[in-house]
Amino acid sequence: MGASSGPRRLSGMQKQVLALYRGFLRAARSKPAEERKQIESVVCSEFRKNSKQVDRKNFIYIEYLLRRGKKQLDQLKSPDTVGLSSLSVDSSRTRGSSS
Amino acid sequence: MASALRSAILRHIRVPATQVVSANGSRLTAVRLMSSHDDHITKDEVINRVLDVVKCFPKVDPSKVTPEVHFEKDLGLDSLDTVEIVMALEEEFKLEIPDKEAVRIESCEQAIEYVYNHPMSS
Amino acid sequence: MSRNLIKEGVKKMGRLTKSERFPILEGHPIGQQHGEAAVESVGNLKKVMKLSDKDKKRKEFRIYRWNPDNPNQKPFLQSFFLDLPSCGPMVLDALQKIKGGEDSSLSYRRSCREGICGSCSMNIDGVNTVACLKPIDTDTSKPTTITPLPHMFVIKDLVVDLTNFYQQYKSIEPWLKTRKPPPDEREYRQTPEDRKKLDGLYECILCACCSTSCPSYWWNPEEFLGPAALLHAYRWISDSRDEFADERLQALAEDQRRLYRCRTIRNCTACCPKSLNPANAINKMKTRHLTERTREDLEAEPEPRFGQA
Repeated sequence: MGASSGPRRLSGMQKQVLALYRGFLRAARSKPAEERKQIESVVCSEFRKNSKQVDRKNFIYIEYLLRRGKKQLDQLKSPDTVGLSSLSVDSSRTRGSSS
Repeated sequence: MASALRSAILRHIRVPATQVVSANGSRLTAVRLMSSHDDHITKDEVINRVLDVVKCFPKVDPSKVTPEVHFEKDLGLDSLDTVEIVMALEEEFKLEIPDKEAVRIESCEQAIEYVYNHPMSS
Repeated sequence: MSRNLIKEGVKKMGRLTKSERFPILEGHPIGQQHGEAAVESVGNLKKVMKLSDKDKKRKEFRIYRWNPDNPNQKPFLQSFFLDLPSCGPMVLDALQKIKGGEDSSLSYRRSCREGICGSCSMNIDGVNTVACLKPIDTDTSKPTTITPLPHMFVIKDLVVDLTNFYQQYKSIEPWLKTRKPPPDEREYRQTPEDRKKLDGLYECILCACCSTSCPSYWWNPEEFLGPAALLHAYRWISDSRDEFADERLQALAEDQRRLYRCRTIRNCTACCPKSLNPANAINKMKTRHLTERTREDLEAEPEPRFGQA
């Protein structure tokens, strides 16, 4: 019953990985268009690469990558990373396309 | 109860699906442009725009996209692609979907339902 | 040259009784213990050096290894053998010798090599301590096992992630908080008696040995602040110049986790390489909070206590 719409079962770690991925894509949105594209392609290829290469049961390593990723995300979130300190998400879009 | 509701919704949304599949891309974008000026979005519009976003996803075969498709089971996407699609939907409808809700969106059907019921969708 | 000095020292030490041995370390039992262990191990080393059997001079060190650049290799204990007569007296010296001579990829934190920076904390033969103050056990018949601080996320080999630990330290606001500017516009003064109240608190070097030896901290590393952060919290609560003691205490005690997850296990006090007593500091905070609470509660609601059935 409802096989195609039943909720998928994700482990806590999988949820953390997906949340981290979402976090990166969100952080990228706040950057100028060109930066955003570049960040997205780097983040995307890194997650893809690890999803293929890393053994799903290598918890120590996944945990390590998660912690490293969280730190990198914190750095990326900092407006100083691209010098957008006083611009909001929306104005950064117009700014990104004009400059 | 939930499955009855789901089938009721399915019956309801199956009708416009044929329209969407037959419509060509240029018409869909025209619909989208017009709708962005309108504060109230109809279910048909939500369906059109959700399907449009999914069809525009590079890994998706547009001919397979219907309002019922499951991202992973029917379109062969993985969980990372699903995250990307949900993020694209956020941008399309100018929403911020919290993580807890985002993980529950795994099919066009669930996406349409979520967006349609969201008061801030535009 | 230095070895001769040590020999002289050992001879002198031998003539002294136990309590006279390290007058400078009075009130520092762990320091005295380490000192005694050092004297003993040097004495033992003299015997070792006389042995003709070369193998008997070699000490085995089993060191935890894990490298994220090689993710398919599971963590393992790697054995290194060191010639004791040519190695310095402390475990940190052994690590330096291994890193310099055998495997430069071995990773650990270190800085001052004299127990004041708190960088080289690790688990040596089952006890959390700082490697620079821990004499090598010169008994060559059994190996010394060195692992990272327990229940911490490993970054590489003996290096653990202390982000959460530092965050907790930050959360207790480790700085002087006052309500008015200093009377002479320059500094806040303190009597020698008030300053003395900070002894046994200010010496903490944040090596994290105590927090990572605490079972309560193992199971609740994020909610429970851990003995190190709590000791520092008490250091500021005890400071005569700080005017936010009550607020600090309130912030710690407003839930059941930050302070009250402490179950008085006292592993913290047992392993502190600086001989401090975090368990005692935590108990004093609990007592202060509970006694003050009762008084406040009584003043706030004297009627309903008796009026309600």
